[in-house]
This record gives sequence, C-alpha cells and structure tokens, in this order.
Amino acid sequence: MNNDLESKLKHALRPVAPSDAFTQRLLARVAASRDSRPQARPTASRITRRAAWWTSAALAASVLAAVGIQHQLQTERERTLGLQARRQVIEALRVTSQKLDLAYQAVRTQSVGGDRDSGV
Amino acid sequence: MSEPRPIDINMDLAAARAGQPAAIGALILAHQRSVYSLALRMLGARDLAEDLTQEVFMQMSESLHGIESNEHLEFWLRKVATNRAIDQLRRRSRFEMTPIDDHEPMFGPVDHGDPLFQRHLEMHLAQLSPAARAVLLLRYQEDLDPTEIARTLEIPVNTVKSHLTRSLDAMRHGLAGAGREKREDKHR
Amino acid sequence: MRIFRSSILGALLMPALAFAAASPQLVLPDFTALSQKAAQSTTITLDSTLLSLAGRFLDGDDPQDAAAKDVIKGIKGIYVRSFTFDTDSAYSQSDFEAVRRQLTAPAWSRLVQTRSKKTHADVDIYVMIVDKQAVGLALISSEPRALTIVNIVGSIDLEKLHKLEGQFGVPKLDLEPQK
Repeated sequence: MNNDLESKLKHALRPVAPSDAFTQRLLARVAASRDSRPQARPTASRITRRAAWWTSAALAASVLAAVGIQHQLQTERERTLGLQARRQVIEALRVTSQKLDLAYQAVRTQSVGGDRDSGV
Repeated sequence: MSEPRPIDINMDLAAARAGQPAAIGALILAHQRSVYSLALRMLGARDLAEDLTQEVFMQMSESLHGIESNEHLEFWLRKVATNRAIDQLRRRSRFEMTPIDDHEPMFGPVDHGDPLFQRHLEMHLAQLSPAARAVLLLRYQEDLDPTEIARTLEIPVNTVKSHLTRSLDAMRHGLAGAGREKREDKHR
Repeated sequence: MRIFRSSILGALLMPALAFAAASPQLVLPDFTALSQKAAQSTTITLDSTLLSLAGRFLDGDDPQDAAAKDVIKGIKGIYVRSFTFDTDSAYSQSDFEAVRRQLTAPAWSRLVQTRSKKTHADVDIYVMIVDKQAVGLALISSEPRALTIVNIVGSIDLEKLHKLEGQFGVPKLDLEPQK
C-alpha cells in the first residue's frame, strides 16, 4: 500500500512547466538585470511587478533566439559530453576494480599463509 | 594510458559565470520546471509561484560565482526556492488558508482510474505546515532521500522522516475515507 | 558528537559550505602538485548529472556497458584520483593525509585493510553505512609507484560490485565491515 501511494505521489508530483509567456519574461528580466546593479528586494505590489515584466518582454525575442541556437549546440555538446562521461565511467570502474583486486590478492595470499599483514 | 581529458559538464556554468546570457538562459531552461513546480506547490497560486521563481533565478544569476557544479546548482536552487517559499508561508496570517487556484493545474495529467487522487493531494498539501509540505515535495517531486532533504532544509533527518511518516499516514487515511464515501454513494 | 557539531555548524554556514558538510562524498584536496610529478595521472569527477548522462550513452547490449550501467544505477558520484610515478616514493603519506583524516570519522567503517609485503601495496577500503545500506565507499591504494583514491557516493550495491568479476576483473569480496 505504501509503495502504491508513493508511486502515485511521484507520478502526480512530476515537475510541471510554467507558461511559455512566463519563461519569455523571466529570461528577458534576467538578461536585463545582468547589466544593472543587483536588484533590491522588490517592494512594489504584485500588479506593478507584473507590469514591469511586460515592458521588458521586448528583449525576450532576441534572447529566445539565442537560447534556441544554444539549445542546438547544447544537444551536440551533450552527446560529446555523454560519450566522454561513458568512457570515464568505464575507466573509473576499471581503476576501482583493479585496486579491489590488489586487496583481494592480499587477502587470498594471507588466507593460504603466504603473506602476512592483511586484515579484514 | 594518457591522462583523459577531464569532463567539463560545467561548460554552461562556466560560461554563465562569465556572464554569457545564452548560458544563463540555458541554465534557467534546464532548471525552471523544478523551481517553478516547487514554488507552485508550496504557495498554491500561479502568480506567487512565478514571482518566487523569478526571484530565485535573479538571485542565481548574482550568485553563480559561488556555485561549484551542476549538482551544487541543483542543491542551491532547491534550497533557496523552498526556504523562500517557507518564509513567505510563515509570514502569512496563520488563520489564512493557503489559496488553491482551482484553475491552475498544480500537477501533471490526471491519473486514469484515480481522478480523486490529485484533488486529495492538493487538499493534503494545503493542510500541511510549510516545512512538512517542503519535505513531501522534495521527497516525491525532487526524489531526494531524507538525508538530502535534511541538508537542504537544515533540519534533522529524524524530523524529515517524521514529517514523511505523518504525511503518508494522513494521506492514506484520507484516501481510505474517500474510498468509503465513494462506496456509500454508489449504494445509495 | 562530531556529526552533531557538524550539523550545527552546517546550519550556520552559507548553502555552499553546508553542501560540503557530513557527506559520504569526500573533500578531495588539490592534487596539482602531485599530478605534475606523476608520469601519468587520472582525474575523474562524475557527479549525479554526469552519471545520468553517461547512463544514457552506455549500451545495454554490450556486456561491459550493461554491467557498468547496472552498477552505477544507485550511485550519485564517482571520484577518482590516480597517479603513477617513474620512481619509488615519489609521494608521501602527507599527500593524502587530508583524505585519511576524513575517514576516521565515526560514520565511516573500515571494510578492508591490506598490507602486502609481496607487492608493497597497501589498500584500505571504507564504507559509510546508513540504515544498513552502504551509501559511501572510499578506497585508498598506496603502492611504491602509484597512489589511487576512489570515492563512490550513493546507494552502493556491493553485490553488484562483486558481479563485475569478468567484466573489470573484480573478484568476489566475502568481507564483513569492521569498526
């Protein structure tokens, strides 16, 4: 029962995306803020803040275009990185197993009385 | 064997730290679902969630110099998003119910064969304390284990486990009650 | 007590520092100097993002890839620092003392300590157990011309590690953790 409930919770609580319009405003806002001083903690009402977002939406188109190109580059880069990560996983496990083998050999040698000083 | 080139998954992170807008945008796109969903399910209203999400990413863009890796960034975003949400909820009047926007889906597509589940979950979340709500979301939305949740929220692991146990028990109880009501309605 | 103090300290520090406290992930020192002395060095840093990415590119139809994919399923990080030198004693204990010190914490249990007069290889293996499950593994292998440190973070299935035998040459380990 617990597993069923937890499974349902995980399914129901999968992350949801905000609206495209919000994303557009967010990117524009962050891009615009990079050239200005750090923003003070907002004190304006929610309505005023939302109005400010709309005025900065003019920047969103160029930012989104850059992000679109970035996304393509990201996909290619991800493949390169993914293959590199795969090789490194293999290598990491190989090194680990090699050193585990050293320990094993020492333990086995000790158990047949050939080499002291191995402890488990 | 020659030294393998170290992987630089933090390419976007490095570029973002250098101030490249496209890289910062890529980081936002990669993480906005998680941050927005946490904000939405903590605060229960879309406009509040959007405000909080914006605040988090604005702070992120100012704090990139202190972020060491993508893993660290994920931790940082979760920590800042949940703590800010908790602070907001605690500042509200304790007699004010957390508003649930009936028209804004807080969850993904409704599960077939169990249409009441999301409604119960929504009601259950609204009844939880801010910390307990955060624990539930970090566990089932973000798939963190109790130790990671404890580190994110800076509370003891036992407190996390206690919140989870109580939340699950309350949900089971609520669902069992709803099941009984459904059966009774059928027989009327 | 040490873990409790770490928790309090962690609660008072910025998120960046709190992230580094009390974790099966070791804080590995900067080995730049050692790397410059080494004939060959390997630095592998695979966090959960990279492991997840790697998992997508490991071929399930290839036995080696499939075995690797299975092992890394519950793992959240693999960190390897390995150095090979042209001469004996090119490094000293002090070069990795900072790592050893972390492994004296109560959370870590030494699984294996081997000192071989034959190969002159010293291998120490530690595990961190939480709720009867291994959540961290640390290995320090010190040989006359090689030093290797491995730190694995996450839900480690030692049985799966056993089953790498034949794929990566790992023998079965019928060893019990000891304090």
